[in-house]
Amino acid sequence: MIDSEFDRRDFLKVLGWGGAAVALSGCGNTSIEDGKETVVSYVQAKDYVIPGVAVYFNSTCAQCDAGCSITGKIREGRVLKLEGNPESPINRGKLCGLGQASVQHHYNPDRVREPLLRKGDKGETISWEKAYGLINEKLAGVKGDEIAFLTGEMSGHQKVLLGNYMDSLGSGNHFVYEAVAPAVVRAANLKAYGVEMPRYRIDKAKVMLSFGADFLGTWVSPVHFAQQYAAFRKGVDGQRGVLIQAESKMTLTGANADRWLAVRPGTEGILALGIINALGIATGDVAELVKDYDKARVSRDTGVEPSHIDKIAAILRLRSPSLVLAGSAAEGYVHGMQNAEAINLLNHVLGNVGKTIEAPVSVPFPQLAPSKGSTASLKKLNDDLASGKYKVLFSIATNPVFTAPASYKFGDNMAKAGFKVAFAHYLDETALQADLVLPLDSEMEDWGTHVPEYLADAAQINIQQPLMERLHANTRGMGDILLALVKQRKPEEYKAFDDYYGFLRFAMLQNKNALGGAEKDDDNFWNDTLSNGIVKLSPASGALSAKADVGGIKLPAPKEADKQYPLRLIASVTSNLRDGRHTNQPWIQESPDPLTTIVWDSWVEIHPKKAAELGVVEGDIVKVTSRTGSISAQVYLFPGIHPEAVSIPIGRGHEAMGRYAKGYGVNPFSIMDAVFERETGELAMHETNVNIAKTGQRVIVVKDEGPVGGKQMGRRVAVSRSTDQVDLSKEV
Amino acid sequence: MLAGFLMAVACHAATEPLTTEDALGPQIQQPIEFPHYRHAGNRNPVDPTNSDPTKGGMEINCQYCHTYARRSLTAGIPPLQKCIGCHQNIPSVRDKPRIVELFKYWDAKKAIPWKKVHDLPDFVRFNHERHIKRFIEQQGRPVQEVCGYCHGQVKEMTTARRQKPITMGWCVSCHMKDHVVVAKGEIPEGGTPLGKQDYWYTFQKPQEKKNAEGELTAKGPNDCWLCHK
Repeated sequence: MIDSEFDRRDFLKVLGWGGAAVALSGCGNTSIEDGKETVVSYVQAKDYVIPGVAVYFNSTCAQCDAGCSITGKIREGRVLKLEGNPESPINRGKLCGLGQASVQHHYNPDRVREPLLRKGDKGETISWEKAYGLINEKLAGVKGDEIAFLTGEMSGHQKVLLGNYMDSLGSGNHFVYEAVAPAVVRAANLKAYGVEMPRYRIDKAKVMLSFGADFLGTWVSPVHFAQQYAAFRKGVDGQRGVLIQAESKMTLTGANADRWLAVRPGTEGILALGIINALGIATGDVAELVKDYDKARVSRDTGVEPSHIDKIAAILRLRSPSLVLAGSAAEGYVHGMQNAEAINLLNHVLGNVGKTIEAPVSVPFPQLAPSKGSTASLKKLNDDLASGKYKVLFSIATNPVFTAPASYKFGDNMAKAGFKVAFAHYLDETALQADLVLPLDSEMEDWGTHVPEYLADAAQINIQQPLMERLHANTRGMGDILLALVKQRKPEEYKAFDDYYGFLRFAMLQNKNALGGAEKDDDNFWNDTLSNGIVKLSPASGALSAKADVGGIKLPAPKEADKQYPLRLIASVTSNLRDGRHTNQPWIQESPDPLTTIVWDSWVEIHPKKAAELGVVEGDIVKVTSRTGSISAQVYLFPGIHPEAVSIPIGRGHEAMGRYAKGYGVNPFSIMDAVFERETGELAMHETNVNIAKTGQRVIVVKDEGPVGGKQMGRRVAVSRSTDQVDLSKEV
Repeated sequence: MLAGFLMAVACHAATEPLTTEDALGPQIQQPIEFPHYRHAGNRNPVDPTNSDPTKGGMEINCQYCHTYARRSLTAGIPPLQKCIGCHQNIPSVRDKPRIVELFKYWDAKKAIPWKKVHDLPDFVRFNHERHIKRFIEQQGRPVQEVCGYCHGQVKEMTTARRQKPITMGWCVSCHMKDHVVVAKGEIPEGGTPLGKQDYWYTFQKPQEKKNAEGELTAKGPNDCWLCHK
């Protein structure tokens, strides 16, 4: 039903006029345009360039840290489309939606194009020479300890160069920050298996029990896991794999599970111990640990029915090997480490270690291995900044002002550093606080090497190469910038390298033999490397510790409901938005959330039962208040969430960054309490309690599902005016 | 309508070069007044050295410069390098104003901003490669004749000027004609054997019987998506 004043008769009238217009323009005249456009030919064309025929180059996707290899389609010197590179064992020719959207990062109209120096509230365009000179000037007389570097996960030769630059400055303050990294799980894995990130063989498992690990959507290496998952569903020995997902808010993986269990927030560890108890196969320490976790108690604590615990135990006993995963839903609590350890213990009890949990492969060049991101590092940086420790701060493509909980007051603390340099793609919240903003090349204009944290079957170094010329003359690659900076300090050592490309080529050729190029000459090896986009290596493989360690697992009883703030806030990570660094890519904004189908806006996910209790319906604007602050957003009723929890996705609610990000939705980080995981010091993202109040406003939720979606889409466009007078940007 | 009918009748003898409706476009100012007639025009039989450009050209194959046409859907414009490749070895015309202008671009390594003469709307995909495959390679027709179906007698022009309407109706008028299906050996220049799929796929099925002149004919494709992808 479209409720508009426009009826069928009017529609036919308009159609008639439109038809007449077409007929007129077709009468004797031609729509061909003579001499209006310019056709610019090449001056000198490469042999392989044929206008209208695409060429393909391999590179590496940089939208997240999974390190998928990509093949870019390039026509007339412009990159048009990306697909996965089939040669990569990580993504095997596939690419996720986030990766597909990276062309919109490259062509984004809001990219920073010139180096900008703060002049009051404005940025003044300066030259690169002046910018480098300024950095040199500001560093003069500053002790190494007073300089801090904030980056996201970094690997490859860029990390090496950054390390060299930091050495030359005498600074050891490298803060690697990722807002949604699995840092607690890494720590728990190290304890349980002796490695931070083992290889999970989903494809070998017959049953999977995942505690909030959204491995199909956002967790670690989703494209790789999705393919393993396909093999898992096809089944080992013809037995279709069974997936059980236990979490408080349904993720994309949860939606694919055979059985989805809503657990009370924070009780994932208790459920894990309850299952060990129900299995009845544990001995010794483990049996001692779980003896109090009988079905009745576990069911009371977690909200999972006793019959379900029995069924899970039964299927885990029946089918082996299985695989148990601890994901972000389990780790986001004060006792997140305990949760994850209890879950990992299940793998030991079931004998999965060594079967579906394998030793990781690593690249035999430890200096290229990734520096792993965490939120604890940002906390440390924030504390240091607050105490005025740093005089110069370098922020490399990170946006902590957006993703730090508001109670950090990161923006204010950042201001205490005397000189702040932001290397940025957009004028995001952090770049706006900087004194000097240096524009970066997009990933499709820059050189680089990457070593992903999670390597699949083989050790590999991923090559990143420009897919096209720079769009904007004054952006620079991070590698080139670091090289220029390190040249300021050690001109003699680096004088041989004109640019980062030269450095990269030299560094790779130096290790030619170890990189499998012993039989090739330099040029052949280098050309093959660029053409493949990947260097595969014989892996250096570690061993797993097979012994279960129960020391220290002590799970708290579930929290009593807070009177003032009765609901738990789950700041959810969605597969397209992640931590919000890509929100300015309109494809990301317009692609419907996989579970709610909502586009271009944030929402507060509430269980229908809870909503009835609160008297809210879909579309009500509610005020969500925590101890830290409050935000308002539209309600979406969703049965896939525990009634004691509400969920707001992270990634939206930007106050800067660009036209497609600014002003859309709300940022749950702005109401997140600064509560930390006890052992690792990571931000406990699920420990914020909130209450909900109606504001009295109501909107139509813009989403794909249901008849309302259809109505939204057809809204008023081209009905009141003829099509050539409609300004679509205002209508839609 | 009537004109179309008459035209169809006029073109019935399919072995003749295809003739279609003319519609002369405007003369377009180009950065360099490129003399097509000098490059592609017929040789002057009286004076084979062609010392007088008004008397003849060099009969250079269209595809020598427009090399992308047989490889891609767009014909493209030859890279500047191509012009220079010959002209750096032709000192006799080096001082002519147009050539001086050409070398100015080359020395500055700047592309020449030619204006589009045949600019189809963005929702139309015309594929040069297919037409060249079909008429030049399969049927062995002369290159200038085939290019001329749409571009007119470029060999007689300086800079190209649109000669045909290039409208959809005009395209279709040719696709509706009964084209002679030629098999190997039936024409001296050779052709593709009958019955092979790679020959038929752009055609509608030929008529079962030969026409009055003893020829087997078929129509061009009439699928919307062929041009409107």
